Amino acid sequence: MRSQEKLRRFEEQISPHLRSAYNLARWVTRSHEDAEDVVQEAFLRAFAAFDSLRGDAKPWLLAIVRNTSFDWLKRNRNLAAVGYDDAPDPAEPSPDPEESLVIARDREKVRQALEQLPGEFREALVLREMEGLSYKEIASAVGVPLGTVMSRLSRGRDWLKRILSAPATAKHGEAAAKGGEGGSAR
Amino acid sequence: MNCDESRIYLAAYFDNELDVAECLRVQQHLAECADCRRLQQEHATLQTALRDSELYAQPSADFAKRIQASVLQAAVDESRRERESWWARFGGFGWVAATVALAVLAIVVGTLVLNRGSLSPNQLLAGAVVAGHIRSLQPGHLVDVPSSDHHTVKPWFQGKLDFSPPVPELSAAGFPLVGGRLDYMDGRQVAAVVYSHRLHQINVFLWPNHGSVDESIRSDEVQGYQVLHWSSAEMNYWVVSDLNRAELVEFAQFLRSQ
Repeated sequence: MRSQEKLRRFEEQISPHLRSAYNLARWVTRSHEDAEDVVQEAFLRAFAAFDSLRGDAKPWLLAIVRNTSFDWLKRNRNLAAVGYDDAPDPAEPSPDPEESLVIARDREKVRQALEQLPGEFREALVLREMEGLSYKEIASAVGVPLGTVMSRLSRGRDWLKRILSAPATAKHGEAAAKGGEGGSAR
Repeated sequence: MNCDESRIYLAAYFDNELDVAECLRVQQHLAECADCRRLQQEHATLQTALRDSELYAQPSADFAKRIQASVLQAAVDESRRERESWWARFGGFGWVAATVALAVLAIVVGTLVLNRGSLSPNQLLAGAVVAGHIRSLQPGHLVDVPSSDHHTVKPWFQGKLDFSPPVPELSAAGFPLVGGRLDYMDGRQVAAVVYSHRLHQINVFLWPNHGSVDESIRSDEVQGYQVLHWSSAEMNYWVVSDLNRAELVEFAQFLRSQ
């Protein structure tokens, strides 16, 4: 592809999704500095692979951001802290609906709850609720079957509801203190 | 539809992933079942909470510029690699072929390069100049010696470069000096002299000219930045800014007349 033409089309199709790329990287890495470095690397990868883009640019870019994030975490942290497939759901009784409605409005609690959520659930929820991707787009960005996307969304939501409806003084307070090390998103 | 069935569909219903017929069935069940309505309500509350714009992570203010500069640099590198690989391919012909082909090559390669849309050396340099300009606008990168006094800036370059860059005083013309720094351009160390005009920064990159002299000002626009270029008998000049072209040309004329 002509280099100037490539640059122009990249600016046109990819650059508008910079904020989405950062938001995803920020929630996956749980660190502002890491997220910026990850996105820079992801944009360079995206530029190098731009000729292979077919179809919608946003899920394509987010797939690259996601893979770059995981490579980054593997390189810079112990990935054991990132794999969550065996993570058990929190064993809490079904929430009292009135209480869950009240607590879910507390923004800092929601932020903390999302940060302590297992990575795969967090990623699926960020892609669905913040980026507005369809099940199909999430499946292609994450590289899993549609059914897995649905199950991760559903387990992630259940998990969040349980955490958010638990009283602040209960044992989830400790979990939140431990899981919230990543600091708050900006 | 019963409750068990409804719970399977409820999330997909909420995520707008059901077709019309399925939607109607879920809605029908919701109208009849308070438990499932409660679930739906929870779902809605959670969704509102997650879509809170304050939770949406924001990068630093200058992040977009940083990314733009690094992609531009990648484009420049890629274009250079393409050009080099062409030369390497043609270089493998051996002496005879090379000699015979040389005259033709000048035309062929020129045409191929043009047809492939690769950038000319000056376009490459213009890209590098703009990347250098954007880099310099990152916090703390603009100048190594901040001074509006050319008697301070000019001596600062001594011993750091193998040439002495001219640093004229242009504040009377409305272009006060901001300072100077070292940069790297066209495979060598160069002087970067920074002027300002209102809120705009102007980077002047200069280094000794060993090639041909072309005093007329060539202009180009790269990524929305204006780039001007000329070469005097002593120096190559590259001027870059987000200033409009007319004013930047005016600045270049002042600079050239010094």
